[in-house]
Amino acid sequence: MSILHARRAALLVAFLAAWVAGSALGATEPASHAAAAPLFQLERAHAEFVPTLDGSKPIFVLVIGSDARPDQAIESQRADSIHIVSINPAEHRATIVGIPRDSFVDIPDHGQDKIDAALFFGGPELVVETVEQLTGLKMDYWAMTGFASFEAMVDDVDGLVVDVPFAMSDEASRAFFEPGVQRLDGDNALAFARNRHDLPSGDFGRSEDQGLLMVSALAQFKKEFNQDPARLLAWVASFVRHGTTTLSLDEVLDLAFTGTTINANKVANAVLPGGVGMVGTLSVVTLNQDTLDAISKDLADDGVLKKANVPPSPNESLLGG
Amino acid sequence: MTPNRVQRGESKKRRVPLALLIVPIVLVGIGVAIFLIGGGDVPIVGGDDEVTPPFDFIVKGASVVATAPDADEATLASTADDVAQEITPTIDDLFTNGYLDPSNWRDGDYEEVFATFAPDAVATAEESVETLTLGATAGDVFATVAPGKSKLSYQVLFDPDGAVETAVVTVVFRATAERKDGTYLAIVSEGEFFLRQIDGWTITAFDVTRADHETQPPSPSASPSG
Repeated sequence: MSILHARRAALLVAFLAAWVAGSALGATEPASHAAAAPLFQLERAHAEFVPTLDGSKPIFVLVIGSDARPDQAIESQRADSIHIVSINPAEHRATIVGIPRDSFVDIPDHGQDKIDAALFFGGPELVVETVEQLTGLKMDYWAMTGFASFEAMVDDVDGLVVDVPFAMSDEASRAFFEPGVQRLDGDNALAFARNRHDLPSGDFGRSEDQGLLMVSALAQFKKEFNQDPARLLAWVASFVRHGTTTLSLDEVLDLAFTGTTINANKVANAVLPGGVGMVGTLSVVTLNQDTLDAISKDLADDGVLKKANVPPSPNESLLGG
Repeated sequence: MTPNRVQRGESKKRRVPLALLIVPIVLVGIGVAIFLIGGGDVPIVGGDDEVTPPFDFIVKGASVVATAPDADEATLASTADDVAQEITPTIDDLFTNGYLDPSNWRDGDYEEVFATFAPDAVATAEESVETLTLGATAGDVFATVAPGKSKLSYQVLFDPDGAVETAVVTVVFRATAERKDGTYLAIVSEGEFFLRQIDGWTITAFDVTRADHETQPPSPSASPSG
């Protein structure tokens, strides 16, 4: 190797060494700069994640309240309350649509009868089939409680805080309430849910009150979850312990997590309207077909009932609306 | 002895490698000196301060959340204790990797922390790096971090057949971090982690709040307890 070559090589090595050293120096600059920046932030920081269900399609759950007394099997009695609960996870919205128990409808393989008889004829599966046929909506799940299990469920979560919308005084259901926010234990929540004699619109108004209980439960569940996320377990366990459902525990957990993201203030609580009449000796409700069709079509799309399709409250006269 | 031509040639050959060696060594030396002086806040890798302080949570107990009306509470309580024992090392590691291991916080590299989260949760966890760990730029700010008294409690949800479904761990983690300017910060992380068994105990949901505050230097007699 000539001297010239050797010098060139030395210069090259020196350049490389200087570049490496310079790079190292350069690399220290951001660190020095960051260190000179305001020191660690002190504001309270919060991070959370809940595994909500896929928001690509609405979820439909048929919620059935059996009128079974404590010594009766809940699936072989009549359905005292029937509600379609639709959930749109993507929009954090939910809708409750009550179906009056006296609605005179086609029950598959049983001809026309009051919808509450579907539970007696064929259990919750037949109620689902009947509602699917009536609305054209496909139910993803059903969930059911009876009187005793509903009471126990409410007591398990230390009662429900409900804004009772108007005074009630009904001996039959033992619903005696002043209007206003109050915590109802299981016994009182059941009385609130059962009262119809005291309401001008009877079962229509009762169905709305039952929806109100569900909205109140959602609001309370969310509030408790926000204060202590572990409360989710107590609510889930209460539901699984006292309810009957097609939902697996995994699915209940998924729905519960999804419920924490639903805006309770925006839940539409509607009741299918209809006219009261007689078929033979039966007092029945003939559903308003146009409203039924409009609501069913609206829900099928995204599970969210548009304001324009929410029928007037059956308790309107009591609400001063 | 006068060197012959061949020997002179060999001598020349020896002088060239010396130049090649000396110049870069001097330059690298200067570079390293500037690196250490100019970037004085950057620690020397492999120093004594790279040791991760030992840390273990204190477990305050495990409670049962049963879904079967006729659940055998005593059996479930025993299982819940076992679950707590199984999960605790995972939570110990989560906080050790997130707050105490200098090789993580000096570089803002918390890969081991995020490996504990379920696939659905990991993106949110990574976005929450400032809340779930000492922070991405902690190495620029802090000199040392020492663990404090930290505790865990468990609630274990059982399915109707008595199998473990989900566990919720309530965490209170405390540490004291010394800043490079000599001031101290009390690190407080409180929250809940929902865990399920998915290839080991995995975090499926979380709700964590950081409530750090200024603090005084620890007294010499104080010692962190695990």
